[in-house]
Amino acid sequence: MTKRFGGLVATHDVSFTVERGEVVFIIGPNGAGKTTLFNLITGYLRPDAGVIRFRGLPIQGLPPYRITAMGVGRTFQIPKPLAHLSVVENVMLGAFLRAGTYAEAERRALEVLERLEMRELARVEAGSLPVASLKRLEVARALATGAELLLLDEVVAGLSPAEADAFVGILRRLPEMGVTAVGGVEHIMRVVVSIADRVIVLDHGTRLAAGRPEEVVRDPAVVEAYLGTKFARREEAP
Amino acid sequence: MSGGRRWLYAGSLAALLLLLLVPLGVQNAYYLEVLFRIFIFAALGLAWNLVGGYAGQLSLGHVAYFGVGAYAFTLLTLDLGWNPWLGVAGGVGFSLVAALVIGSITFRLRGPYFTLATIATAEILRLLVLNLQDFTRGAIGISTPPLFPGPSADRAFYLAAVLLAAVAYAFNLWADRSRFGYYLMAIREDEDTAMAVGVNPARTKLLALLPSAAITSLAGSLYASSFHYIQADYIFSIDISNQAAIVAMLGGAGTALGPVLGSVILTTASELFKEVFQTAHLLIYGILIILVVLFLPGGVIGFFGRRSRRRAQREPGPFAGSLSGEEGSPRHSSSSST
Ligand SMILES: Nc1ncnc2c1ncn2[C@@H]1O[C@H](COP(=O)(O)OP(=O)(O)OP(=O)(O)O)[C@@H](O)[C@H]1O
Ligand SMILES: [Mg+2]
Repeated sequence: MTKRFGGLVATHDVSFTVERGEVVFIIGPNGAGKTTLFNLITGYLRPDAGVIRFRGLPIQGLPPYRITAMGVGRTFQIPKPLAHLSVVENVMLGAFLRAGTYAEAERRALEVLERLEMRELARVEAGSLPVASLKRLEVARALATGAELLLLDEVVAGLSPAEADAFVGILRRLPEMGVTAVGGVEHIMRVVVSIADRVIVLDHGTRLAAGRPEEVVRDPAVVEAYLGTKFARREEAP
Repeated sequence: MSGGRRWLYAGSLAALLLLLLVPLGVQNAYYLEVLFRIFIFAALGLAWNLVGGYAGQLSLGHVAYFGVGAYAFTLLTLDLGWNPWLGVAGGVGFSLVAALVIGSITFRLRGPYFTLATIATAEILRLLVLNLQDFTRGAIGISTPPLFPGPSADRAFYLAAVLLAAVAYAFNLWADRSRFGYYLMAIREDEDTAMAVGVNPARTKLLALLPSAAITSLAGSLYASSFHYIQADYIFSIDISNQAAIVAMLGGAGTALGPVLGSVILTTASELFKEVFQTAHLLIYGILIILVVLFLPGGVIGFFGRRSRRRAQREPGPFAGSLSGEEGSPRHSSSSST
């Protein structure tokens, strides 16, 4: 798919497929087009060219809430909880999509919190959470919608190395829950390389490389354009 | 259901029963009239709250449905010979149609643009009613039919206002604890997030406007009949839109109790100081809303009820729109006031 903002081509002919049950990372530095890509898939932006299919059905041009209802969940780069509601009430917001009653939504929400190991935060006011928990809350809310495909923008930004590891670890467990995960990260990190089924490297809106992480890391184009200049940062990253 | 919630329901029910018994003790027509106004404006604030509080869409044009309710009830009854209560129901019908039209236009807009558009649509209706003289008697105004004939009309109007406020209050309580209410709050917080949990913001806002407009319309019919006379300039006055919003924001927008509290405070205060300030009440409203926005963003409930979690949004964005609307209101409504 291709998306232009005026003269700027934010994504240029980017094309990829994600299989059910995979964990895939989109890797690209600031401004590479990760968020644009997620916005295209979830209907927040319309592609200028290209086709987007989910379970074989074309979804480009559908409004975001329809795409959510079809089973595509997402988180936002900047978490936006309902600050004055509790954690479980925020997750219920997602659960209501498939729950008929208030009680059922609450039960589903608590289940999701349990699975994400944040049950003890259920009654905490969402506005008082630290960034790491907020990110997890975003995942919980998206999971509660019954999503089969989860797009997680900027999964490590603002997290400490330990928190980043824990968060990426959650993504690793999503396939067991029947959920396919696509995460966006800025750098090639060890933990990403170790758990990803596949990675896709974006640079200035174009797909630079894609494949199994070990292969991509050795891809000359990636080493040249991305790792070459950022090697020091890669070493710093967890 | 949590224990606190149970107490809230029980307390609300007890309060309603007490309020329904008031006419047994209070016979004084003046007091009954003030009480009538308290609950009419509580109903207006509660109706507004669904759209302006829970969904965070700062309408300053709710008088549109108030005026349509007043005029439709009056004209259907007088000119088409309908039973007055059928006229009231007809008013609700017209208001729902108006809500669908006005909502589909204004809900496309955000923030201050939305607020200005709601003011504009209400003003257009006022001018239409003023100028369609063949139908509406124009600026001369029109005497309204009685809904409660007989000597105990004061009491009946009071009871009707209490019941209307109770229905509106029940809608607000329901918003606290339902998918629909959660979706409204999600829209208030951020429409992008709302869409990510499957909410269609345009449709949901319109759905919230329907009960809001219906209750406002009923309040308009009641008010028209109790006042015996209506005229477009005051029945479509922006004062009434403002008052619906101020009552809710003063008490606590986005809470069920807030608008009730706000109306008790504001209506009582404006009654007490009526002699002192005369027409300066418009200025007082303006100053009041600025003070509330600056120092009491969650209203009285937000200030005292730290535990109340359904406080109004603190974002300055939507309220900035109301500020400018409020500052301008004394000029807009020179012809208002009863
Ligand atoms: N709505 C928009 N209008 C104009 N330009 C945009 C818009 N959204 C993104 N861009 C531009 O498109 C390019 C890709 O941005 P995008 O946000 O997709 O990158 P990203 O990979 O998510 O980066 P980041 O790490 O900053 O989140 C950037 O140059 C950005 O400035
Ligand atoms: Mg981004």
